[in-house]
Amino acid sequence: MKKVLAAAVASLAATGALAQTEINGTVDSKCIVMTDTAGVFGNPSPNMLTTDPQNGGVQPVIRYDVIAADFYKAVISYPVEFTSSPALSDVVNWTGDVNVSEVSDTLMSDYDANKITYNNTHEYNMSVAGSTWFKISSEADYGFAKSLPAGNYTAVVMAECIPL
Amino acid sequence: MRNLKHYLAMAALASGPAVAHELTPTYPKLTPSYIPGVLSTHVVLWNARQDIGYYKVDVFDADMNPVSFIATGGDLKKVDYLGRAHIEIFVREEDQDKATYICTQSKLSRGAAQRSLVASNVCSKIR
Repeated sequence: MKKVLAAAVASLAATGALAQTEINGTVDSKCIVMTDTAGVFGNPSPNMLTTDPQNGGVQPVIRYDVIAADFYKAVISYPVEFTSSPALSDVVNWTGDVNVSEVSDTLMSDYDANKITYNNTHEYNMSVAGSTWFKISSEADYGFAKSLPAGNYTAVVMAECIPL
Repeated sequence: MRNLKHYLAMAALASGPAVAHELTPTYPKLTPSYIPGVLSTHVVLWNARQDIGYYKVDVFDADMNPVSFIATGGDLKKVDYLGRAHIEIFVREEDQDKATYICTQSKLSRGAAQRSLVASNVCSKIR
């Protein structure tokens, strides 16, 4: 009987010890930039590379998680040059756009209307806490309907998160 | 129904690949370091981008002009996937009012074929 009691007490003690194991964490104001979808250029015609899904491309999607409202601005720039490509002898004409594609809070629905745009850069004030998905489109047209040389082409979308 | 939507959204996020870049704290403070005339602060970079192994650290003024600084171990950091880098930044006392942003920019490697890649740049603001 004593042995059973001792075992029960030991078991309780062990349970108590487990119950006191803590997991600590803090929630700071912070911004996390995530590449949700890596973009891919489609090559629908010899002189064009585009992320347009109807032309075989994939639009990159970037997600911003903001823990606190009005602490950050998101600055997203679509590419205006190749970071790697074969030697190009003619000019490349770049176009692109940045748009909000999904939001975790309906209050973010005016982000596109309130954004500041200059050159190839789009600036969003992250005035609501939560997640926002941005979709970027990019198109590169080579010369005057000139064929792009065969090879690998890489262009970079810059996604910045800057505290206010 | 609303809860179910939230659950499904969370499940989708949880099952997706981790591809994040984070810098904390948001508002670090410069404090006197062990070197006279030099201030320091500490930031933590978290790399959950599997495609990125290196990050460049920079210090800028309010207009994003570079400010002189030294980071422990150099300004190019190798950070493993799901790893954290604790970065000590040293700034001259005379640059205290100029130094405004500490930024970490992902460095992409060449070689990915016909892809539009994403470079992330996350900053903290010195207060």
